[in-house]
Amino acid sequence: MTGNGILLDKVNLHYSSVAFKERSLKALITGAFTAPNAKTVVHDIHALKNICVEIAPGERVGLLGHNGAGKSTFLKMVAGLYPISSGSRHVEGTVRSLFDLSLGFEPDATGRENILYRGLLLGLSPKFMRSVREQIVAFADIGEFIDYPIKTYSAGMQVRLAFAISTMVGGDILLLDEIIGAGDANFIRRAKARITKLIDDSEILILASHDLGALRDICERVLVLDHGEVKFDGPVNSAICEYKKLTGGSA
Amino acid sequence: MTPYVLGIYESRYFWTHLAFSDLRSKWRRSFLGVAWSVVQPLGITALLAVVFGKIFHQNIVELAPYILSGMIAWDFFMATLIGGSLSFVQADAYIKQYRHPLAIYTLRTTLTNLMVWMMASLSLIGWVLIVRPQSFGYCWLAAPLVFPLAAVMAWPLATCLAYVGARFRDLPHALGLVLQAMYFVSPIYFEARLFRDGGLGALVDYNPIYHLLEIVRAPLLRGEWPTTANFAMCVIAGAVFSAFAVLIGRSAERKVIFYL
Repeated sequence: MTGNGILLDKVNLHYSSVAFKERSLKALITGAFTAPNAKTVVHDIHALKNICVEIAPGERVGLLGHNGAGKSTFLKMVAGLYPISSGSRHVEGTVRSLFDLSLGFEPDATGRENILYRGLLLGLSPKFMRSVREQIVAFADIGEFIDYPIKTYSAGMQVRLAFAISTMVGGDILLLDEIIGAGDANFIRRAKARITKLIDDSEILILASHDLGALRDICERVLVLDHGEVKFDGPVNSAICEYKKLTGGSA
Repeated sequence: MTPYVLGIYESRYFWTHLAFSDLRSKWRRSFLGVAWSVVQPLGITALLAVVFGKIFHQNIVELAPYILSGMIAWDFFMATLIGGSLSFVQADAYIKQYRHPLAIYTLRTTLTNLMVWMMASLSLIGWVLIVRPQSFGYCWLAAPLVFPLAAVMAWPLATCLAYVGARFRDLPHALGLVLQAMYFVSPIYFEARLFRDGGLGALVDYNPIYHLLEIVRAPLLRGEWPTTANFAMCVIAGAVFSAFAVLIGRSAERKVIFYL
């Protein structure tokens, strides 16, 4: 197989508290007048703790965990967006991530123009975008609105167009974060088929989701995260049991 | 270092798109649209030329293009540096999703303002051709070099400021003050000889802004080639700023995302 793969060894990630503490003149002055014990102390956040994971080509990995367990941070760390504080991170292959669908639209430009703009944002060439434009228009299926400015679109239409563009091209490593289902039932069905195809084309998939059904359908292996630690790493069914144990059986 | 530069090249469609999109949104829904970037500096120059001409008894026709050339170049630096210090903050949504080299976001700001400056230059060329047609000649070929040279100076400087600006949001305000001071010690609308006569020649000779302006002013206003010293000072300034940007970027580049 190809050399694609992910190797994480003792990865730690901290969000430095300097970044979100308020440092302003106002805070300094009001701080001087409040009782010292009334102040809440802001600490560094240890978001990922000692993560050791190896993902081989062809693996479909799910991420499961409560809100704030570190699923998104894990994905963004793999994507190389967040710097790690210690350990080593090796990612081979082109990473394509679907985190936020509605980014990079220009409200005053038409749908057709925005197809080009968003493609450029994804790092594609204008030539390639022109060649796939009609396919995108067909998939989004928003009729004559494709020639209207984006600001006239309903929320559902925007998501359809964004989804159609973002899923046009896959990568070696696909990172998906809670793909939300906007749009009507018919579109969701087609969207699921599209995602499945994208997943089939990619070598490695990491999917963060609370949708246990989707995890069972798509992934063989699941990592259960809890407060930044990998609590369980193994087959999907045992992982779901483990997750239910962690959350007190309520999930 | 090399993969970083390669990353800037590979995302070229993206940052050129961002720059053009900035321009589009700047002039959207305005009647004069892009013509404003020609009309605005012309108007201010006309005003200043009349006032200065009266106060200092100088020849308005000669003085106006001098002021205009300084004004539009200074506008470029103001907009690029102050806008540049907020480039990362402005692009936070992109930075949080895609791993492009951060320098492309200051490049976008630089490029946008460079295009505005180029458009404003049309008014300068028009003015000079009417009032001083005798200066037209081969030496005009040197004048367009001002744009790449200015970019080489402003882009790294804006990048340094953006790294700092992401963390310290006071920077744009402080910068406005510093640039205002720079404005008065640079020969933007006062002629260089006024500085020299006042014993402040050093403010001119060691000022990269002066040398940059000479690249336009020498050919357009006097019909002469710019001197080698003019070019050398611009290149040296660019190299120094670039070194700073690399030095700051080395440790700051990866941490920026936490401060957005």
